[in-house]
Amino acid sequence: MRRELLVVDDDPFIRRLITTTLEDVAQFELLEACDGNEALALAERHRPQIVLLDVDIPGIDGIEVCRALRSDERTSEATVVMLTAAHGDEIEARAGAAGADLFLTKPFSPLDLLRLLDGLSEPPESAPS
Amino acid sequence: MPSPDPAELLAENERLRDRLEAAEREAADSARQLELYAADLRETFKSERERAQQLSRSYTATVRALSNAVEARDAYTGKHAERVTRYAIEIGRELGLPRADAPEIEFGFLLHDVGKLAVPDSILFKPGPLTVEERALMSRHTIVGAEIIRDIEFLAEASQVVRSHHERWDGSGYPDGLAGEEIPLPARVFAVADVFDALTTNRPYRAALSFAQAHEMIVAESGKHFDPDVVAAFERIGDEVLRRIADEAAA
Repeated sequence: MRRELLVVDDDPFIRRLITTTLEDVAQFELLEACDGNEALALAERHRPQIVLLDVDIPGIDGIEVCRALRSDERTSEATVVMLTAAHGDEIEARAGAAGADLFLTKPFSPLDLLRLLDGLSEPPESAPS
Repeated sequence: MPSPDPAELLAENERLRDRLEAAEREAADSARQLELYAADLRETFKSERERAQQLSRSYTATVRALSNAVEARDAYTGKHAERVTRYAIEIGRELGLPRADAPEIEFGFLLHDVGKLAVPDSILFKPGPLTVEERALMSRHTIVGAEIIRDIEFLAEASQVVRSHHERWDGSGYPDGLAGEEIPLPARVFAVADVFDALTTNRPYRAALSFAQAHEMIVAESGKHFDPDVVAAFERIGDEVLRRIADEAAA
């Protein structure tokens, strides 16, 4: 089954770096959004399984986007991975309260990102027999 | 202050634009370089993951082969290892055993009787009761089993079940006479599954008991032979689940 992963960051280079890192790794269809409005519009339409969400984006910020995803039944099941700046304990607390599942601190290790998504995308109960 | 020379200004403008373009080109080059790193990392990650999966498949195949070798010797127990492994995984899950269905745990269940390879046929298949000496030899299969897999790193956890699956909660089991929580939890879980399967399958000396009878006997041994928490978890699993496991293993 092909699943979708939405990358939300206003920096096109970060988006490119993330998509380059993740291409073909977990059979995800990659979607990109550069601000909160676009993120929500894409999320409603595609219902991605995972959302990589930068906190600091123009318009509706990442925390509000997360809250909105959680409150909409079409998107509430998505796993939200929040990208935060270093030492953002207070931000993480707020994002956690808004329903973020996991955090990745910028600058993030691409290997951590790969492992994190690999852990999430493990298809349950289908060990090779 | 003299007004600036327009030609001078134009030339300055030109120089600034050139520098900006050069900086942009450089930034784009750096970005491409980084993307290449990311792409290489991704490919490395993928092939590493593929190898890990291959390795894990080989482990599983090896363990199953060994388990089948034990089974093949004793036609009577049929698919005992398969059934008992699945019962034990089910009980472990119900109990909240950490990583109840992790391969490391499953391998121990599958290989629990590997030491029986060293028990002579005359004892293993003896129709009558065993003498004291024979019984002693038979009970060594736990120690021998743990010895057989001792140097296999990926079976380190499995060897707990192999060695300790005949221990009893009240300390009267073998080979080490461990009691209570001294007995590794996977071994305590397995003990219930093992006895349940033994009771509910035909043996040379008696016919299979019904699930209900077997349940009763296991509950009666709670706190004696078995860990009460494990028995409680076992009781929470419906007979229909156990029946399905038994049927699927037979198929």
